[in-house]
Amino acid sequence: MAIKKSIFIIALLITLSLLTVILIFGNFLNNDRKSSIDEQMQAINQLNELQTYSLMNEVYGGKMACVAFKMQLKEWDKTLWDLGQKIESYRLATEEFQKDQFYLDMKQKFNENEVLYLTFLTKVKKECNISMDIVSYFYQNSEECKQCDDQSFVLTNIKQKYGDSVAIFSFDTDINVTNVDILRQYYEIDKYPCVVINEKKYCGMQDNDFIVNKLCTLNGGCYEENSTRT
Amino acid sequence: MNVLYNILLYGVWFLSTYYVILLLLLLFTGKDSIYEKKKFNYKKHPKVSVIISAYNEEDKIGESIESLKKIDYDNIEFIIINDGSRDGTSAEVRRSIRHDDRFSFIDRAENRGKAASLNQGITKARGEFIVTMDADSVVEKKIFYKVLPYFEKKDVGAVTVSVYVKNPKSILHKIFELEYIIGLSLFLKIFSKMDAVYVTPGPFSIYRRSMLNEIGGFDEKNITEDLEIAYRIQKKGYKIDNCMDARVYTILPPTFKKICIQRKRWYSGAVYTLYKHRKMLLNSKYGAFGYMIFFNYMLIFLGLILFGTSLYLGASKLVDNVIYYNYINFDIWTGIHNMRLDLLTMGRTSLLGILSLMFTISTLIIGLIFTKTNYKGKKVGILGFTFLFILYQLFWSIALFAVLTGQRVKWR
Repeated sequence: MAIKKSIFIIALLITLSLLTVILIFGNFLNNDRKSSIDEQMQAINQLNELQTYSLMNEVYGGKMACVAFKMQLKEWDKTLWDLGQKIESYRLATEEFQKDQFYLDMKQKFNENEVLYLTFLTKVKKECNISMDIVSYFYQNSEECKQCDDQSFVLTNIKQKYGDSVAIFSFDTDINVTNVDILRQYYEIDKYPCVVINEKKYCGMQDNDFIVNKLCTLNGGCYEENSTRT
Repeated sequence: MNVLYNILLYGVWFLSTYYVILLLLLLFTGKDSIYEKKKFNYKKHPKVSVIISAYNEEDKIGESIESLKKIDYDNIEFIIINDGSRDGTSAEVRRSIRHDDRFSFIDRAENRGKAASLNQGITKARGEFIVTMDADSVVEKKIFYKVLPYFEKKDVGAVTVSVYVKNPKSILHKIFELEYIIGLSLFLKIFSKMDAVYVTPGPFSIYRRSMLNEIGGFDEKNITEDLEIAYRIQKKGYKIDNCMDARVYTILPPTFKKICIQRKRWYSGAVYTLYKHRKMLLNSKYGAFGYMIFFNYMLIFLGLILFGTSLYLGASKLVDNVIYYNYINFDIWTGIHNMRLDLLTMGRTSLLGILSLMFTISTLIIGLIFTKTNYKGKKVGILGFTFLFILYQLFWSIALFAVLTGQRVKWR
């Protein structure tokens, strides 16, 4: 029985339509993802208000600035962490054939904001007597650094578990962010993964127990290697 | 790796979706001819010879013979061949056929394989039409009044019927029941509309005797003789038609292991057959057959590559996760507790998966409607059908491994 050639063409058109629906819906989701990241990035830009707090510190004295800063601290920390997670989810959802330029741009901006927040947090931590551990994590892409993904997983778990008491900043050293590079040079990091916990550097893969052991807030203060409370 | 994998994923999705849509379109455009009931116009009933080759079938052949006895057709003979069974098949056949002179019995001590047995039966048969049947198949009474009219067209060399599973009880059997309904009933009908039927199923197929003589009967070296003969029928320019209205019921192997063994034979036989008749592929001389077969097997092999790659990536991910969790003392709860279900985390590949799942279930339901199958008791099968893809890959992997390592796959 001869089959009309048009059937083959109609089948092709229907298949192409289905593929188009997927691509359109995929793009629709992508746009939503982008908007969501953009919104949060706007919120992060409020971190520029840190300068205001810094100025308040100089004009009205430390006490006033600390009250204001403590009020905002948890919110900023959460916003920054959530944004990092969203950018990573975006990468996982969109990375099919090539790295997305939007992802690269956002990652760059995110890292810049992280440096700003980290610096300010480090500064006011002592001045305002803030009970919070600061962890900076430096990594490369997983092809060059096989254990960086492992380290990310451990740190994500720690953040999920201990929430506000730990501020974790992850810095991608592959993207060109000058401030990240300055931090990297300051801490003399040449091996990845590398974590800086409360200003002390530990390069190489560190497991959960090791990091938790170094967190002051969880241990009722910080211990030196010879177990002397500081 | 990621890029190549995605190209493969999109490619397989596109080709398989195109393939199924094409079949569905053929189904919709020719739905009137699907249920077409041909009129039995023979003035004198042509002689039909039914041949059954049995090997270790003592517990099933009795029922099969009983169904043959009930067939409503007068000019018929039944030839049962015991192919060197080591159980009580011989005694069971003798007991079942006594007092019925339409039956003749060839009791062979040596096991020579199904194709050889069928050829021996064909030599002895006097019918104008030859039916080959499995020893565990049960046929309906009026089957010959439904299938013989198809031979009024002189170029029809063989006719297949709808193959159904008899009394499916286990979940696995319920899933395969649907595979039979769709694959060995509906799809064979659609393929027949394109003159591209690639198998004359073992449970029941009827051949024109003169055509069998012309092509030299079954290939005794082939382990899937019902598949191989279809290629030669097509090669000779005969048509293989399908009578969806006629039904035969077959019994599935009882255990998963036995199903694996059966599929290993089917699929490795398919590979050998494909290799033997490789010149038919994409050969316009054989019409749609050469193209459909090529498309069919290309999808199977691409699907296998995709499955293998997915398995590798999945296993790598699993190993990674074990390493990850080892670093956090297997604290799984924190991750679960913080898990967020968000539509925005869904990528295009997940959309492809969801759409494919919906598409498979829809196709299955359309198939069940077209075959007028009762849904009752088939919910488990419908849900499980979506996982058949995984089982296929497993069976094909086993079969290909057997072929590549040169294992000798036997019929029995």
